[in-house]
Amino acid sequence: MIKLENVTKVYKGDVVALRDASADIQKGEFVFLVGESGSGKSTFLRLLNREETPDEGRIWVAGRDWSQVSKWKVPYLRRNIGAIFQDFKLLPNKTVYENVAFAMEVTGRPRHVIDSQVPVILDLVGLASKVSNLPTELSGGEQQRVSIARAFVNRPLILLADEPTGNLDPNTSVGIMRLLDRINRTGTTVVMATHDKGIVDTMRRRVIELDRGKIVRDQSRGVYE
Amino acid sequence: MALKIDYVTRETLTNLRRNLLLSTASVLTVAVSLSMVGAVLFLRFGVDNATARWKNGVEFEIFLNTDPPATPEQKDRIQRELTTSPEVTPGGVKFINQAAQYKLFQQYFFDQPEYLSSVKDTDMPESFRVQPSVHDADVIQTLGDQFKKEPGVKQVSFAKDQVQRAFNTSRGLQIGMSIVALVLFLASSLLIFNTIRTAIFSRRREIEVMKLVGATNWFIRVPFMVEGLLQGLVGSVVTFAALFALRTPLTKWVVETFDQFRGFVVNPSEVVAIGLFMVIVGSLVGAVSAGVALTRFLDV
Repeated sequence: MIKLENVTKVYKGDVVALRDASADIQKGEFVFLVGESGSGKSTFLRLLNREETPDEGRIWVAGRDWSQVSKWKVPYLRRNIGAIFQDFKLLPNKTVYENVAFAMEVTGRPRHVIDSQVPVILDLVGLASKVSNLPTELSGGEQQRVSIARAFVNRPLILLADEPTGNLDPNTSVGIMRLLDRINRTGTTVVMATHDKGIVDTMRRRVIELDRGKIVRDQSRGVYE
Repeated sequence: MALKIDYVTRETLTNLRRNLLLSTASVLTVAVSLSMVGAVLFLRFGVDNATARWKNGVEFEIFLNTDPPATPEQKDRIQRELTTSPEVTPGGVKFINQAAQYKLFQQYFFDQPEYLSSVKDTDMPESFRVQPSVHDADVIQTLGDQFKKEPGVKQVSFAKDQVQRAFNTSRGLQIGMSIVALVLFLASSLLIFNTIRTAIFSRRREIEVMKLVGATNWFIRVPFMVEGLLQGLVGSVVTFAALFALRTPLTKWVVETFDQFRGFVVNPSEVVAIGLFMVIVGSLVGAVSAGVALTRFLDV
């Protein structure tokens, strides 16, 4: 599903974000990316989403070689990839319903499909009663659920999560992780960057550890350290 | 992927509302610059109409008597003299009969129906338009003066009296106004450019999310381009409306103020042509400025 082959990414000013990284992630896997701040976790995810392009090496996502995909096709391939973030990235002037519907709207889905799918997804993430609320009226955990609903509403093959529990308290985080686990069980590949030792140690999934841009550990059913 | 009309409409209107002040500024600059373009074209059409007789090197026109009308013999004689004269371009003699003369008359006075109805085509003088083969003004004058004394000739009018001054004045005005129009066009492009850039900036979060969930570049772009196009369109329509409403007083003002623009007139169909041109140019300026702003700042 995802394959990195000797990938190196250097930012301006010779900051090496990722150095000679190789990894192979199968369909349906749940992978934690761990490491200190600045170790390259976010870059790893941004490369998969093609928000960045590697300076060296090749990346395959969902069977496609990213380097062979022309620029105008990127939006179509991104529809196979959902993404959630620490800061949720919800649109503040849209309601919960509109935020989720927006993701379907921009991919050109017809209205009746949107109107039948959005309530199903909001029910799945447990927000059926908050459809008309604005994001500011929700707790952090609820906002993250909205963003998960938005990422999942187009049924992506892959879900990328960049510290999704970074702003949440432990109890709320557990709820979010249950939700991600549930999504993973539907066959969606999940790659999650995190600092949360408790979560990693409880879930016991594959762990890839990064240190200053290098993959220093790749362990199935691993722990945080 | 099909772009939905309701989506584009909604997004565009939201953008325009959020940037109302800047949008208004863009619309106004477009309107002002296009009014300059409109004025240039207006002047040009008017002067062209006023001097239509003097096109293609026609330097003087011999008008024949109407009461009593010139006899066929007199006409033949004049024609023969003109066509055999070495100072007249071969084929440079054009006979205008009463019907044709009346048609021209109708064009000049289309906005004065009472006057038109009081004149019949048989009241019109026939005439010869002459293209001399020489350019020396004195020679042309002498040539024309010869015919003044011919039997059957009512009068001879010369281009240089009427036209030269009109041409010179209008050329100066046209160049001046074209330069002003160009500068204003640049200003309106930059303003639209800036409006769109501001719109992109104020919506960068939304655009980020759109890219994240796989919106195509055109999906993101089109509402902004429609916004620019709309600004240009509204500006040009405003100018068009103003020009159309003011065309009669404007013509009157030109004729009364500038002695040299006697016979200055612009037909309604020409005003419409000017208007259409302005609308097309306005919309293009808007859409293109927005497009350039997008490629610069959207990085899609």
